[in-house]
Amino acid sequence: MNWNAHLPALLLAVPLFGAFASPVLSPFGRTTRNALLAGLSFVTLLVSLLLMKSVLAGGTAVYVMGGESTGLALPLGMKLPIRIIMEVDAFSAFMAVCGTVASFAGALFSMNYMDKFTALGRFVSLYFLLTLGMLGMMITGDIFNFFVFLEIASIASIGLIAFWRDRPEAVEASFKYMLISQVSSMVFLIAAGALYGKYNALNMAAIGGLIKPGTMEKLALVFLVGTLAMKCGAFPLHMWLPDAYAEAPSGVSCLLVAVSQASLYGLMRVCFSLYGVNLGGAFIPWVIISMGLASMFFGVTMAVVQHEIKRLIGYHSVSQVGYMLLGLGVGMLVLTDARGMAEYGFTAIKGGMFHIFNYTMYKALLFLAAGAVYYATGKRDLNELGGLARRMPFTTGMFVIAAAAISGLPPFNGFVSKLLIYESVFAVHPALAVVALVTSVLTLASFVKVFQTAFLGPEKSSFTAVREVPAGMLFGMGVLTVAVLVATLFPSWTISNLVEPAAKALVDQAGYIGAVMGGGL
Amino acid sequence: MLGTVYTGFGYWDVWSWAAFFAIAAALVLWLRAQGREDYKEGTDQDEIYWSGNVVPEEGADITVPASSAYWGFRKAMAPFYKVLTEMHTGIGTDIVGCYVVVVALMAVFVLM
Amino acid sequence: MIANAPFFVVGLLFLGGLTAIFMEKNLVKIAIAISVISSSVNLFLVALGYRVGGTVPIHFLAGEGTRMVLPTPQAMTLTAIVIALATTALLLSLIMLVHRHYGTLDIDEIRRLRG
Repeated sequence: MNWNAHLPALLLAVPLFGAFASPVLSPFGRTTRNALLAGLSFVTLLVSLLLMKSVLAGGTAVYVMGGESTGLALPLGMKLPIRIIMEVDAFSAFMAVCGTVASFAGALFSMNYMDKFTALGRFVSLYFLLTLGMLGMMITGDIFNFFVFLEIASIASIGLIAFWRDRPEAVEASFKYMLISQVSSMVFLIAAGALYGKYNALNMAAIGGLIKPGTMEKLALVFLVGTLAMKCGAFPLHMWLPDAYAEAPSGVSCLLVAVSQASLYGLMRVCFSLYGVNLGGAFIPWVIISMGLASMFFGVTMAVVQHEIKRLIGYHSVSQVGYMLLGLGVGMLVLTDARGMAEYGFTAIKGGMFHIFNYTMYKALLFLAAGAVYYATGKRDLNELGGLARRMPFTTGMFVIAAAAISGLPPFNGFVSKLLIYESVFAVHPALAVVALVTSVLTLASFVKVFQTAFLGPEKSSFTAVREVPAGMLFGMGVLTVAVLVATLFPSWTISNLVEPAAKALVDQAGYIGAVMGGGL
Repeated sequence: MLGTVYTGFGYWDVWSWAAFFAIAAALVLWLRAQGREDYKEGTDQDEIYWSGNVVPEEGADITVPASSAYWGFRKAMAPFYKVLTEMHTGIGTDIVGCYVVVVALMAVFVLM
Repeated sequence: MIANAPFFVVGLLFLGGLTAIFMEKNLVKIAIAISVISSSVNLFLVALGYRVGGTVPIHFLAGEGTRMVLPTPQAMTLTAIVIALATTALLLSLIMLVHRHYGTLDIDEIRRLRG
């Protein structure tokens, strides 16, 4: 029996098992629960790495749920796939690796971080459900299943954001996210239903093979793009995001970063694989580019003036998502133009893709470092913090690495992906690169402020009892630091082994469709 | 080479950057190690200069709070920030309203 | 034209729910508006699968009819109803917590997080 064929199902089965095992196992005590949390997260990480390896070696993996054979997408000579199908190409596998690394780090961190609180069985359960929803969005090949996983992820994240339900702000942030998430997911469902009504299929590859530009398709595209852009926090739709990220427990914020990347994955999947050459002109690419520019600039300008550490980092999420929207949007703009694609479009996609990896790692690390500061001092307001570098040297070191990476200081990985984006979007219009550069400068400015006020400066008398955080939290941050450093020191290895296959899979619409529908397009 | 990334217009190499950084750092450290001739240990030159006043014991008294950082920038950009902060009202229905307006505008423009 | 009537109803329900979200200030009424929206979407899915004169989509022992309504949208609707149930329960419990902390159900007053 070949286990590699079952990896896509296993990737979902492991966190699902964890979610339902945790209420059963958590009465057995703290050690059992922590072992479950860390162990199963690690197993999920291993499965995603194996999946990446098998996809790179053997091409796109298709997994049919409930069929006679797991590879049989079109049984009995049918024209359309009828079962629930997971389709994992290099892009999905790449996203799953990013997501599971963040999930593992968040799990390690949460073991110590959440120790003081009760109802941790439910916390672990929701944490695994959130991981499941995120991974499901990344590997499903079916637009309705995407909706289901989107809802699983949003319900779990709403529960986790309001986990400290004695804090009014946490409940408020959770409620606001719930409002917009419900309205927008219903809009998403309308789009999925409209596509089904038109093409009698829910499978993204099947729809992608049949789709013709028309009024209903355009409306469905707008609904899908609007919803997914909201979920990943593009500018005019971002207002829930800093609230939610700031009020969630830090281990959860770290996972929420990866979950927003799953929505970005959905957005790109819809634009590149579902619509692809049928996008119908340059309107949608320009919408995505301008959303990216607005997110970058306004996100970072709002971040500069914040004085609550996690809220500041939350606004930076908005601005960093802008980079990916910009890079991938430029790639989308030249999707039908082979020359532009070869000259700068593919580089822009590679840059955006590399930025997804980098962003997930360093942003998760920043949230964990902010959480460590909160754990050690009980303060989140930068006005009250100061001089922590002496007391918390490891946290400070890892925070500096993450802050330098997010600000795009050479030689860190953030610089490499930003460089790829600058030099390729410059070819479309210099103004795009100028906005991106200004954003990078302001990012550096705001992190200088955070570093200077929280970690540097003379020691405050109220913090003389502060100690470095426990080992579990340091390990959680260490995992992400190692990921940042690997991408920093071996950028070309990372790009050629992780990023480039993913970028190739993203632009290869025929390959995505052909993996399910067979070669006879 | 393991660290070279080609961007299509140029390239980035982390190891050459590290080499240049090491050379520059060595140069700077060497210059710094030359020292100043007029420095004398154990005199007033060792004291922290705090606008001629006595340096307070408590660290909190001499730190600049984060809200005061970039004061000039915020003062200069005050009209911009006024608009931007007024946009973030924090009311739940405004958030939904933004979403609905953006989707509706996109729908109108994509059909035109 | 008459075949499109369900879709007009769906559109009206959806717009009604959407309007109610903006017109109402009470959180419970907003929760009701969201439920109306999800019901309208469910109705849309069911209407999508209807074929004129169709019977239940069961192959064996279900009568003579050969013209069937589509089963997939019904399965989708069931899933969507379950999700809507979960989210409504969660929304109402959040509203309860909000009321406990803020002492009000007016959405304009629940804005500690801003700027």
